Amino acid sequence: MQPKVSLQRMTKGIVVQIGFVVAAILILYSSLFEWQSREHWGVLVAYTLLTILSTFTPVRLSNTILTVNNAVIFSGILLFGTWIGVWCAVIEALIIAFLVRVNPVKAAVNIGQLVMTIWTVGALKDWLITFDSVSPILSDLFLALVYWFVNLVLCGLGISYFYNKDWVGTIKEMAKGFTSTYLLLLILAGVGSRLVESYGLMPLIPMMAAFVTISYVFHHYYSSVQKLQQKVEEIKTFNHRFLTTMAASIDARDHYTSGHSQRVAYWGREIARAIGLPSDKVEEIYFGGILHDIGKIGIADEILNKKGKLTPEEYDKIKQHTVIGYEIILQAGMFHELLPAIRSHHERIDGKGYPDGLKGLDIPLMARILAISDAFDAMVADRPYRKGLPVEDALQEIRRGAGTQFDSELAEQFIRVVNQLSREELETIIQHDGQTEKQLQEAIH
Amino acid sequence: MLLDVICVSFLVALIRGGRIKELPKFYKVGLLIGSLVLQACAAFFPSLSGIFISISYVLILGFFLFNRQFEDMRIFMVGWFLNALAIWSNRGKMPIDLEQAKRLPYDLEPVINGTNFKHSVLTESSNLPFLTDVIYMPSIIPRVISIGDIFIMLGAFLLVQRLMNKPISLLQLREGKSYATKS
Repeated sequence: MQPKVSLQRMTKGIVVQIGFVVAAILILYSSLFEWQSREHWGVLVAYTLLTILSTFTPVRLSNTILTVNNAVIFSGILLFGTWIGVWCAVIEALIIAFLVRVNPVKAAVNIGQLVMTIWTVGALKDWLITFDSVSPILSDLFLALVYWFVNLVLCGLGISYFYNKDWVGTIKEMAKGFTSTYLLLLILAGVGSRLVESYGLMPLIPMMAAFVTISYVFHHYYSSVQKLQQKVEEIKTFNHRFLTTMAASIDARDHYTSGHSQRVAYWGREIARAIGLPSDKVEEIYFGGILHDIGKIGIADEILNKKGKLTPEEYDKIKQHTVIGYEIILQAGMFHELLPAIRSHHERIDGKGYPDGLKGLDIPLMARILAISDAFDAMVADRPYRKGLPVEDALQEIRRGAGTQFDSELAEQFIRVVNQLSREELETIIQHDGQTEKQLQEAIH
Repeated sequence: MLLDVICVSFLVALIRGGRIKELPKFYKVGLLIGSLVLQACAAFFPSLSGIFISISYVLILGFFLFNRQFEDMRIFMVGWFLNALAIWSNRGKMPIDLEQAKRLPYDLEPVINGTNFKHSVLTESSNLPFLTDVIYMPSIIPRVISIGDIFIMLGAFLLVQRLMNKPISLLQLREGKSYATKS
């Protein structure tokens, strides 16, 4: 497997670093003759000015910044041909190379992909012209799509090579980011070119006005989107802190279980990751773990902190913590997605658990996961009146309970996760007393 | 020189509320002076002008490089590079398009017979003609400029904004931020 990957990477490297650059040199060389002719100089100057202008007029999107250069280049290709597009690319590359500290290899590759895009679109345009029946408006639209697509594919190839990512994935990610705006700019450039062709330079005035308005609207829109995102992040952080505080206050009442909720949350998250749940679900399970014992708030201290064996009545009271926690969170009107974790983390696969005696897959996944991590932590954690079990014994217990108390598949995954950790890592997690979650994170990663 | 461009730039900077408070510190100003002296030498010794102009170009590049933390200098460099290509590919003189030059109120005789220290005539055999002086610029002081000169004018404009404490950052513009770096 390994050699194949590196061979693929080598091929990519050759195509990107040599292929792109050689292609760029060839295309540049062929354009050079077009630049020589006297009647083209005026156009070169006009497009130099346009390029300078467009290099510094970006359109801001939520995650990327698009410059208008592609629109300028595209209009140049439509009105005059490949040579002017190449000229704009060269001028832009020059400005950027002098203005910003660039990596020469990356810059060469970048100009390579751009010039190849321009050449492809130019060649396609010349070919389409041979068909009299194709309306220029439709062909412009098609060419805009081709420009976007070729640019995306080549750019994606370059980026995937330099950042060692997968090509298709990179393209998809890039396409998600800016396709609509990119195409909008190109279509505007196409329309503008045809207007200029028919009516001279005057239509540029309303076109520019339209463009400025669009970029203003975008700017406003995205800055408000960004503010909103910031707010969401803040709320998430707040929730996180709030939940952690809740967990700490539960643990503080129960002397036996300092840091218990944190550790249960941690193991729950590890299991969720191991079975390949999406990241938002993983986070949900983590917070479910944090809150799973919240109902212990409603259990009397003398029962909660009783040393020695509980009477059946006391044990029944303790069992109530699942329902109490459920009620508390239900009334709070927040974190409803965590309710299954709180109510059902003491259910058993064979239906002999509490509070509802749910069976098998009727128990929500979140609860099935947390049941395992809760049981494991209860076994291995030290208590004031007894040492915790060795990890091997605890895992043996989990294995024995698989299919009766625990979901067998999840139990298997959990055992695998624990066995992958080194002795020190395990010790760190098990000894963790919930002071800061950060330490736990750092210890593991 | 770019007197008119500089005047207009000052005017724009004034309108933008710029004032000269403290001048930015430029390094190795000697290089700049040296290159100006060499340009003058070229005028006095037309026969060696190609060499003088070339050396003066190298000196000015040195000045730009030493001051490259200023964006304006980097824009100057783009213009310098394009003009240097045109001059060095045409034996130390900048070819000028006679068709455009005829519209100027100057005597073109020295250019035509090769005694002008700076310019030669643009012919079919000139290299990189699109980078030579081929653009007629009618406004304020009529002149014929090259594409490299466009960048030099832009650099001059930005430099004057900086001198007047209202610098414009092209890089920040490109990143979609407000263009003014500091007041």
